[in-house]
Amino acid sequence: MTMAGHDRSGLRRVRVYGVLIALLGIMMFPFYAMFSSTFKPESEIFSAPATLVPSDPSISAYLDVWTQTDVVLWIANSFVISLGTVVLTLLLAIPAAYSCARNDFVGKRTFLLAVLVVQMFAPVVLIVGLFDVITQFGLFNTYLAVIIPAAAFTLPFNIWMLYGYFKTVPVALEESARIDGASQLQVLTKIVLPLTKPALVASITYTFLYAWNRLLFVLTFLTDSGKYNIPRGVFSMVGALQTDWRMMLTVSVIGIIPLLILFAFLEQYIVAGMTAGAVKE
Amino acid sequence: MSLAEEYTGTDEDSRLSQSVAHLRRNRRAYLLIAPAAVFLLAVVGYPILETFRLSLYRSPADSTIETFVGLQHYVEIVNSDIFYRLIWQTGRWVLVGVAGKTLLGLLIAVHLKGDIKGRKFFRTAFLIPWGIPYAISAVVFRWIEHPQFGYLNAVLLKLGVIEQGIGILGNPDIAWLGVVVADIWIGTPFMAIIFLAGLQSIPQDLYEAAAIDGAERWHQFRYITLPQLKSVILMATLLSTIWTFVSFDVIWTMTGGGPISTTATLVIHIYQVGLQNGNLGRGAAYSVIGFLFLLLFAIVYLRVYTRGGDEL
Repeated sequence: MTMAGHDRSGLRRVRVYGVLIALLGIMMFPFYAMFSSTFKPESEIFSAPATLVPSDPSISAYLDVWTQTDVVLWIANSFVISLGTVVLTLLLAIPAAYSCARNDFVGKRTFLLAVLVVQMFAPVVLIVGLFDVITQFGLFNTYLAVIIPAAAFTLPFNIWMLYGYFKTVPVALEESARIDGASQLQVLTKIVLPLTKPALVASITYTFLYAWNRLLFVLTFLTDSGKYNIPRGVFSMVGALQTDWRMMLTVSVIGIIPLLILFAFLEQYIVAGMTAGAVKE
Repeated sequence: MSLAEEYTGTDEDSRLSQSVAHLRRNRRAYLLIAPAAVFLLAVVGYPILETFRLSLYRSPADSTIETFVGLQHYVEIVNSDIFYRLIWQTGRWVLVGVAGKTLLGLLIAVHLKGDIKGRKFFRTAFLIPWGIPYAISAVVFRWIEHPQFGYLNAVLLKLGVIEQGIGILGNPDIAWLGVVVADIWIGTPFMAIIFLAGLQSIPQDLYEAAAIDGAERWHQFRYITLPQLKSVILMATLLSTIWTFVSFDVIWTMTGGGPISTTATLVIHIYQVGLQNGNLGRGAAYSVIGFLFLLLFAIVYLRVYTRGGDEL
C-alpha cells in the first residue's frame, strides 16, 4: 500500500471512530444524566440551570433509597413476575415448537402463522378485552394477572425461535437414542435441548426482559402496591405536583443494574434473538 | 403442502376416513401443540371476541349491567372531532418516530460494520436503551427535559441556543416532539442491530469490485448497500411501525397523553376511555379500530415474510 493510500484509510478510520463515539455520546447521554444526578445532594438537584457535573458528589441517595422507597420489594416482585413468565412460556413453547419441527400435520402452517399474528397483536389494543377476561376469571390483583398475558405475548417469539433451532437437530440422532431405549421425553431433555442451548438462552433472555420491562399489565391488573414491579414502582413515584427526583432516579439506576449484568454476559444471544425474526438467511 | 395434494380427487367418504387416519397418526403432534394453542385462544383469542362484543354495548367498568347499543359507539366515534385529531396525532407520531429510528439505526450500523476495534463493546452499549424498562427511560427523559432543572436546558443555555429555560412537555405545540425523542432513543438499537446483521450478510466482493471501479463511498452506499439491504429495511421498518403505533408506556409515563391531549395517540385514547374513565364499550370500539390498523400491518408483514414461496 502506498503512503498516500495509507493516510487516506487512516483518516477514514479516524472519521469512523469519531462518528461512532459521537453517536455513543448521544445514546449514552440519558444514562449520564440519570447517574450523575443521583450523586448530587438534594440542594444541587434542584438548582437551575442544572450542573452537568456534580459539584459535591455524594452517595447519600444510595444510602437513603433502601429506607425511603420500596425498591427491594419492587425488585423482588420483578423477579417473581419475570421468572414466572419464563417458566410458563417455556412449558408451552417447547412442546409446541418440537411438535412442529418433527411432524408434518394438517393445520401446522395455520398454527405457525396464527402465532406470528399474535406477535403483532399488541397487548394495548387488547387491554380492554383482557381486563374483562382477567376480572371474569378472578385473577385481578394476583401475579398471574401479569404473568399470563406476558406469557401469551412472548410465546410467539419463543415458538418460532425454538422451532427454527429444533429443525436443525438431525432426526438420526434422536432415532438412534430411541433405539437405545430412551423415551421421547428423555430424547427431548437429554439430546435436543442441550443442542439448542443458544436458542433457549435467547428465548429465556427475551422473555425475562419483556416481563421485567413492561408497565402496562401491572398498571392495569395490579392495584395492590405490595405487588408492584420496578416500572410500576418508578411510575408511582411520579407525583402530580411534586416528584422526588433524587429517589426516583436512584431507584431507576438500581432497577436497571440486573439488566446491565444480563447484557454484559448474554449480549450475543440477545442479538441472535433480535435478528432471528427480521433477517432471513 | 403435500398433505393437501393427497386429498385432491377423492370423494367425501374417503376424505373423512383419511382425515381420521391423519389425526390418529399425528395424535402426539396435536397433543404437543394443544397446550400452547388452547392458551393463546384463551388469553388472546377470547379477549379479541370479547372486545368485539363489548364494542356493541354500553358497559361501565364499575357495573355489571350492560346495555346493547348496536353500532352506536362506532357512529359516534366516526362523527367526533377527537377521532380525526387522534388519527393525525398518531400519524405524525409513527411517521417521525419510525423515520428517526431508521435513519439513526442506519447511521450506527454503517459505522459499526467495518473492522472496528471493540465492536462488541459498542454493540452492547448501543443495545442498552432498547432493553431497559420504558417507564424508566421515560422518567429519565422527563428529567432531562425538566423546565427548570433539566440537562437539556442547561446544555442549550450553555451553547447560547436559548436565553431562558423552555418547558417542552408542558407546551401543547411541541410536547409530542419531547416524547417522540424518547421513543426514538428506545427504538433505535433494534434497528441498528438488524441493519448491522443485514450489512454483514452483503458479499464483500461487491464492494471490492466497486472499489476497483473507483466508486465513491456515497455511490457504494447508494448502489450497493441500499439495494442489498432493501428487504431487511422493509422488514425492520414494518415491525418498527407496528411497535411505534402501539407504544404506550413511554407516552403514558411522560405526559399521560397531555397537555390538552396533544400527545395522545389512538392506543393512549383506548386506555383513557376504556380503563381510566371506565367506559369499556367505547374503549372496545376504539380497540376494534386499532385492530383494523394492525390487521393492515399484519397483512403486509405476512406478505413480505412469506414471499418467495413456502418456507414453513
